[in-house]
Amino acid sequence: MQDESLEEFKEQCRRNLRRSVEDPMRCGFNYVYKPVLDDAHWRSFDSMEEYRRWCRENLPEYLGYGELSDLQRQVLNET
Amino acid sequence: MRRETFSPLQAQLVAQAFARHGVDYMFLGKSGAILLGYPGTTQDVAVFPRNDIENGKRIVAALLDLGFIVDDELESDILRGKNFVQIKSGPFDVDLVFAPDGIESYDEAKARIDLSSGFPVANIADIIESKRAAGRPRDALELPQLRAFQKDYEQRN
Repeated sequence: MQDESLEEFKEQCRRNLRRSVEDPMRCGFNYVYKPVLDDAHWRSFDSMEEYRRWCRENLPEYLGYGELSDLQRQVLNET
Repeated sequence: MRRETFSPLQAQLVAQAFARHGVDYMFLGKSGAILLGYPGTTQDVAVFPRNDIENGKRIVAALLDLGFIVDDELESDILRGKNFVQIKSGPFDVDLVFAPDGIESYDEAKARIDLSSGFPVANIADIIESKRAAGRPRDALELPQLRAFQKDYEQRN
């Protein structure tokens, strides 16, 4: 994150931490239809690896369950 | 299928039903972080339940109580404690994560549980580690913000 937006985000964190737990709950849970993912009543997997593979093979890439780019891998390794 | 109704207080509803039925669990993932005060958004409630058959029966009872449709096959998979069960047959989405990435055991996570919000929530370090270990693009986007939140959160507590 850029320094400026990180600082802004930290301020947002501090404001949120001063609120009651109900406020972030009201704002934090929302619903947007997700193609494929939302098109079954339920599904189950024997392992998390099996779940991740299913996501990679079946979900639209923009939902963010696919393969990591080099930059994303770097972010994960550095955080 | 698109959802007709939705409650933003879904975590509270889960907590109440799970408490009524004595489910042994903790909130995990971004839903857990939000309960700790993380200023993000999510669409589902992720819970990390103890993986045993009696707890599974309690989960099924709680889900029925919340209005979820639980058919025989789903019930069987919950009782078996399949590693990941994603349920969308109720008023909101619930993920049962019996074996989250990056967390060794339920007992270890429970020893670090965070009850400060009034909800049983996995420790913020465990939430972050499970996201890092899952290694998805969506997690790579979220992790720097979760780390920034963790610093403020741990300083405050």
